[in-house]
Amino acid sequence: MKAAPFEYLRPASVAEASAALGRNGMTTAAIAGGQSLLPMLNLRVAFIDLLVDISRLDELRAVTETPSGLQIGALTTHAAIEDGKVPDLFGGLLRRVAGQISYRAVRNHGTIGGSVALADPAADWPGCLMALGASVRIAGPSGARSELVSDFVQGSYSTSLAAGEIILGFELPRPGASLRWGFAKVVRKSGAFASSIAFVVTPGRSAPVSVVLAAAAARAQACPETAQHLQRGTATDEALRQAIARDLAVHVPDADAYQQRLHTATILRAIRDWRAQ
Amino acid sequence: MTEITLHLNGTQAAHTVEPRQTLADFLRDRCGLTATHLGCEHGACGACTVVLDGQAARSCLQLAVMCDGRSIQTLEGLRADPVMEVLRRHFHESHALQCGFCTPGMLIMGRDILQRYREPDAQTIRHELSGQICRCTGYAGIVDAIVAAGREIGTATR
Amino acid sequence: MAGHAASDSWIGARLLRKEDARHLYGHGAFIADIRMPGLQDIAFVRSQRAHARVRQIVKPPDAAGRVFTLADIGPLNILEAGPELAAHRHGPYPALSDGRVRYVGQTIAACMAPTRAEAEDLADRVSVELEELPAVVDCVAAMRPGSPRVFDSWPDNAFITSTVNEGNPASLAAAPIRLRRQLRMNRQATVSLECRGSLAYWDHRLNELVIYLSTQGGHVKRLGLSKALGLPENQIRVIAPDVGGGFGGKNRLMPEDIAVAAIAMKVGHPVRWIEDRREHLLASVHARDHAYDLIISADRDGTLLGVEGDVHIDAGAYSLWPTGSFMEASMASRNLTGPYRIKHLKLNTFTVATNKAPMGPYRGVARPGACFAIERLVDEVARELGREPFDLRRQNIVTAAELPYSTAAGMRLDTGDYVASLDMAHDMVGLPAIRKRQIAGEPNGRAIGIGFAFYTEQSGHGQVEWVKRKSRVVPGYESASGRMLPDGSVIFHVGTQNHGQGHETTLAQIAAHELTIDPARISIRYGDTATTPFGFGTFASRSIVFAGGAVAKSSRGLIAKIRRIGAHLLQADVANTRVEGGAVHGPSGKISFAEIAYAANVRQEHLPAGMDPLLDVTATYEPTETGGVFSYGTHAVVVAVEPDTGVVEILDYVVAEDCGTMINPMIVDGQVQGGIAQGIGTALYEEIPYDEAGQPLATSFADYMVPCAPEIPKVRIGHLVTPALATEYGVKGLGEGGAIAPPAVIANAVADAFRSIGASFNETPLTPRRVSEAVDRARRAKGAAA
Repeated sequence: MKAAPFEYLRPASVAEASAALGRNGMTTAAIAGGQSLLPMLNLRVAFIDLLVDISRLDELRAVTETPSGLQIGALTTHAAIEDGKVPDLFGGLLRRVAGQISYRAVRNHGTIGGSVALADPAADWPGCLMALGASVRIAGPSGARSELVSDFVQGSYSTSLAAGEIILGFELPRPGASLRWGFAKVVRKSGAFASSIAFVVTPGRSAPVSVVLAAAAARAQACPETAQHLQRGTATDEALRQAIARDLAVHVPDADAYQQRLHTATILRAIRDWRAQ
Repeated sequence: MTEITLHLNGTQAAHTVEPRQTLADFLRDRCGLTATHLGCEHGACGACTVVLDGQAARSCLQLAVMCDGRSIQTLEGLRADPVMEVLRRHFHESHALQCGFCTPGMLIMGRDILQRYREPDAQTIRHELSGQICRCTGYAGIVDAIVAAGREIGTATR
Repeated sequence: MAGHAASDSWIGARLLRKEDARHLYGHGAFIADIRMPGLQDIAFVRSQRAHARVRQIVKPPDAAGRVFTLADIGPLNILEAGPELAAHRHGPYPALSDGRVRYVGQTIAACMAPTRAEAEDLADRVSVELEELPAVVDCVAAMRPGSPRVFDSWPDNAFITSTVNEGNPASLAAAPIRLRRQLRMNRQATVSLECRGSLAYWDHRLNELVIYLSTQGGHVKRLGLSKALGLPENQIRVIAPDVGGGFGGKNRLMPEDIAVAAIAMKVGHPVRWIEDRREHLLASVHARDHAYDLIISADRDGTLLGVEGDVHIDAGAYSLWPTGSFMEASMASRNLTGPYRIKHLKLNTFTVATNKAPMGPYRGVARPGACFAIERLVDEVARELGREPFDLRRQNIVTAAELPYSTAAGMRLDTGDYVASLDMAHDMVGLPAIRKRQIAGEPNGRAIGIGFAFYTEQSGHGQVEWVKRKSRVVPGYESASGRMLPDGSVIFHVGTQNHGQGHETTLAQIAAHELTIDPARISIRYGDTATTPFGFGTFASRSIVFAGGAVAKSSRGLIAKIRRIGAHLLQADVANTRVEGGAVHGPSGKISFAEIAYAANVRQEHLPAGMDPLLDVTATYEPTETGGVFSYGTHAVVVAVEPDTGVVEILDYVVAEDCGTMINPMIVDGQVQGGIAQGIGTALYEEIPYDEAGQPLATSFADYMVPCAPEIPKVRIGHLVTPALATEYGVKGLGEGGAIAPPAVIANAVADAFRSIGASFNETPLTPRRVSEAVDRARRAKGAAA
């Protein structure tokens, strides 16, 4: 189980990396932590001609707290977030999410940028960042751009990232003082890819509730009906279940009866978690 | 082929590597450091865990070429490490190994846990050991050993 | 033995293991750690289809000499595998495809290169043209008329069928309670953390083939390789280095082993194949895969009467040498009475060929399935009668006074106290407290369940049992060759194969006990056919019984001679001497083993007249009863289940077990805990499903769930100790027992959690989906009935 051969380049700048990644006639891939890419290369389910090592680009590393929120560099590892090395503006949500991704030795090297760029439907960060209303900063051949994570992630392993583009990092808007969140994740065993993930976030007292379900469909999805019910604050359990069912019917139309129960239970657990705060 | 320089088990040396070669294969095949075992080659079993720049890493999920300029410690390089000495003794006394194949990775991860937690309890250790597969012991001895090592180190530094 | 004061302290001592140090320092030497000049790696081209004709294999023109097909490595002999029964059909299993492939992963060609990565590059460039044939995927459907066939010449897909008819099963039709249940234990892999591997080269100096093999028994593999390669056994040396777990999965001669050996004979340098994890999940020994369709009959008072029905074993595409997979069906049916006074049995067994990887042994062999079936059925009867399942077990289980007891299926249960084991587990787990907790309910909506399951573990079985099984190789003895060296230290060479069981420690304890010296003065060596006496290896919970007995016997042979020499040197009568503390004591003094051994080895002039020099005794051992001695135990578990997600959490797990005399209780506990971890894998996590086309759906650890530390509880273990009567020291084997009962006990506990709605949990692993769906079905059925 060894990777097929490829060329390797370690560019000194984002511009150089972007140029390498955009090379015509070559299958290229950026590598940061490599914790998802290397298994795919080792298993020979992914083949590339050129591997572009972006792991040492300092522009992708910076973590900055600003008046408007938090900027997290793409190279920030899950472990750095788990260990609280990133300012905690979100009442511990980021740490809680990070600490349940895969295994510690993987978290030490896997990055938030890599996770979002890969857009594995079962990944944690795309859904979490969507729930927080985060946007992604991207550099590329035609300059820098910014996009909401909810727009950036388009489907299963599919994003709006164009040839030669690189994720620089993420901007997470600063939440209000009365931030509340809930998080639930169902896995077949510890550290395994999730079967269902739900986030419930209220960024502030008067801010709208955001409910996001991940690992259910091709990409993480907002659950607006559920969110509205929570917003009203009077939802009975039965009404809530009906709202969830309507969201699932839209976003996970292929869900069988078990998946409906599973995702419903996961969302409800996240809601309990949110209510307990 | 690419030229790299590694700080490996305390010694700096230059090597030429094929880009696709994993750190695990590099350590085992090029350096003869066979304490690092391969149990899955896709990051799920933990047998190949080493220390990379002070942090536990799956050496099957690192390319040697990407480790250029970095520091790597394998079990061979931790022979005299004080935490490892305590851990080894408790692994022995707690019957924390049977076939021994997972043991190097377990020891590296155990040391990593003890560096991050002071006197960790069994539940913490179990969570932190996820992704380290032992097929023989059912983990009880391993968890006991790390608990005991944590207590011993905690007592000594109190 | 008169005058022999064997030290008691080493039997039953929690001696720390001799094998630990090398692994703790990273000095273990596993097969992939072996370095040799000129060594090249092999990667196999494997079938991507479940069933196909191989139309064409096109080798890359620049590398034709490095790509081997069957024609390139032959001629090879095909080994007939499976029981020596005329009714057992033979399906030739070639080392590389002979023009047909019968499962995804079957070896088609071998590619050789200086590194494994390059060998895989080469394998990717070999083009294989396959003509797909209909695949046989389900072992029950495979026996229906009109099913496609795995082997064209067979009239149906059965390797073998059999019937068991005991007591008066016709009487069961009138039984007041008759429950029919279909149960399934799905297919899984064995998952030693070290995968398989072989490394072979021709030793030109000794003119022999040397094969390093990650195996559970080198001598039997040499026998098979000799037959396959047509090479005399004196020209084959099999060496097992450190073996990183086996669990049954390294106890068959596999096609890759033969191919690597054959290639080594063609090329002038060492070659090796190191199995990777995908190959392991795809094409290594697969296990379990039993389907039961059973009726259990009982009286209204709870007396269990009989079991009838069908047992299908999905044996995969080929029989693995030597034993094949018939043992699954025979052992499953012979264990279906459990430990209960069930008098009537009528079973039809079908060992079925399918287009899946061949089935082989895995810790517990057949008994996890049989235990799952009978223990689930007992719970179902209890539920039907509104009884506490624990009480129904206690009512029907064989009592100590009834032992030895021959079950309806012909197993002779030897010694113990099964009721005491049940009671111990009952008290340890605290059944009444759990029942109270259930009434109170859980605040988080989870359901709490408690389950019990009892198992027996036939161990140390010899000639009678293996002949009954029509085994091609009859592992009815083990051997030990003990040598005392001139300084009085001792080396034993044994024919078993330690691969985690701690034989270097426990066998040394036995020798230390007999020789009255410290275990530190004793080395146990194994794993090299050039140095060890013939033996069968380590499997079937046999090593402590057989190898322990052989070491004891060899030690006693040494002691007898030591005593004679000692008496001579002390100028005493042998009858007036005794052996103690590593010395022979006479009326007027003592003489140390070192002095005696010095005389025996290098100063023969001090030996009694006419005595042969050397202290070197090879002994073979078989227990006095060879039908086996039975370890047993009760597992009890408390689970919490989330009905909607179907996630099961184990809250408590207890065992009350009896494996006879324990040589080293620390190692016993390690085997119990480790076996249970694997059983929990079978119960909740591990599965290799196949799709309709015969494609396996779990080929990496992303899809194949191996439980880690958070999934496995620390088991609370209680011991009863009833020494066996037929073995040395009263030992029984116990390596497999831990893995037998977990599927049964966990399914019983989950069913208990939902007993109010009558949900049934009859298929392993109990994945979240299966659990939730079973609850949902029961809720709907109850809703419909109401």
